[in-house]
Amino acid sequence: MQYELRTQVIEPKRKTFDNLVARYGDRPASRYQEGSIDIQATENFHFRPLWAPDKEIYDETFSVLRLTDPYSFLDPRQYYYAPYVTSRAGMFDAFSATLDYLEERGMFDRLPQAWSDLFQTVVLPLRHYESAAQMVSCDTARFGFGTTITQCAAYAAFDRVGNAQLISRVGISLGGGSADLLDAAKTRWLDDGALQPLRRLAEELLVERDWGKSLVALDVADQLLYPLLYTYLDEAALNGGAGSYSLIAQHLSHWFKDQRRWLDALYRAWTTDPELGETNKVLLAEIVETALAKAQGAAGALASRADQLVTSGCPAAVTQSAANIREFFLALGVPMREEKP
Amino acid sequence: MTSTTEQRFVGVDIQESEQNRAVVEAIEETNPDCTVQHLPGLVRIKCAGKIVITRDSVEEKLGRDWETHEFQMAIVSYFGHIKDWDDDEIVIAWDH
Repeated sequence: MQYELRTQVIEPKRKTFDNLVARYGDRPASRYQEGSIDIQATENFHFRPLWAPDKEIYDETFSVLRLTDPYSFLDPRQYYYAPYVTSRAGMFDAFSATLDYLEERGMFDRLPQAWSDLFQTVVLPLRHYESAAQMVSCDTARFGFGTTITQCAAYAAFDRVGNAQLISRVGISLGGGSADLLDAAKTRWLDDGALQPLRRLAEELLVERDWGKSLVALDVADQLLYPLLYTYLDEAALNGGAGSYSLIAQHLSHWFKDQRRWLDALYRAWTTDPELGETNKVLLAEIVETALAKAQGAAGALASRADQLVTSGCPAAVTQSAANIREFFLALGVPMREEKP
Repeated sequence: MTSTTEQRFVGVDIQESEQNRAVVEAIEETNPDCTVQHLPGLVRIKCAGKIVITRDSVEEKLGRDWETHEFQMAIVSYFGHIKDWDDDEIVIAWDH
């Protein structure tokens, strides 16, 4: 008895879903594509949004910023559930390892008083800012149009809860295992003059109905706060003998880099849209200008506080970040106003 | 009759998986003249003369950082000679 071995190629009947074949040709699609493209519900809506009689329950016009094809934006990180969760689990473990190390070595006790004050009066109250940012991101996830966008927003919302949790754990650790510092931080968030412009900004974003506007405004505020607190002050902390501040800050600046990837891609998609690109540029100019003016005030107040506490040059760092934002949007062809000399 | 090094085929066999699909797509884009053959469990990419795999193109398809040594995890076999394997690209071509 002899056996003949040979390979037989069996062509699959379909390589992927028809909507993806129509977009990208008849080839196997990635899981990200299969789980994201054309998923947004667009028809046969049973329930009417009685609170917005001129709109469908999922409607493209919930924001003035629109894309001709919502799926012209793709997440450069290609996150769907599994890669997102894997990536965030990694971040969480890395942070836990840092915190364990800091606690084990009593690093928070060795923190210079000024840096401990900075944690308590500036950083810890920002867990409430993160919480507001979570609500704003949820709003984008609900009202945004196109799964590639809303998916990113939903993950960003989870991230903000994570960031708030990270800050909270630092607060508990710094307070020797009690939540007293977090309570004090809440009082500061409500009463401290240096934080009120930021709280106002956050609360105004909560009531903004246009998800595009609130998303951009939140990002503009982030782009002033994150580089100041977790990059500029990180550097200053290393020079000022506050190693534990730096060890914490790296995790937030690392997250922010990841966050920038999808937002910058979204700005590019908005401004390069074949039909709506020019409209979007004009709209973005106005939205960013308004947001920048408010965010500069809010971040400026925090920067002055940080300046008094730990190091000079914080307001200049905010001004620099604002200039970077202008430069970024100008490079995309967004007609920003000329900067005042 | 002999063929020149520019005419003779070089190729790689890549294990077919979700991860490696991005690598295959990146190679297809970087080497527009290549032919891609699907075998059971494998993808054979063949090209006359030379195949280039660049880190940038794979990273873009994959959506994350990718180092060229990770290519070892993707390939089953290859033919040709690995001329260049550095941090940014891998070049497969015949020497003679």
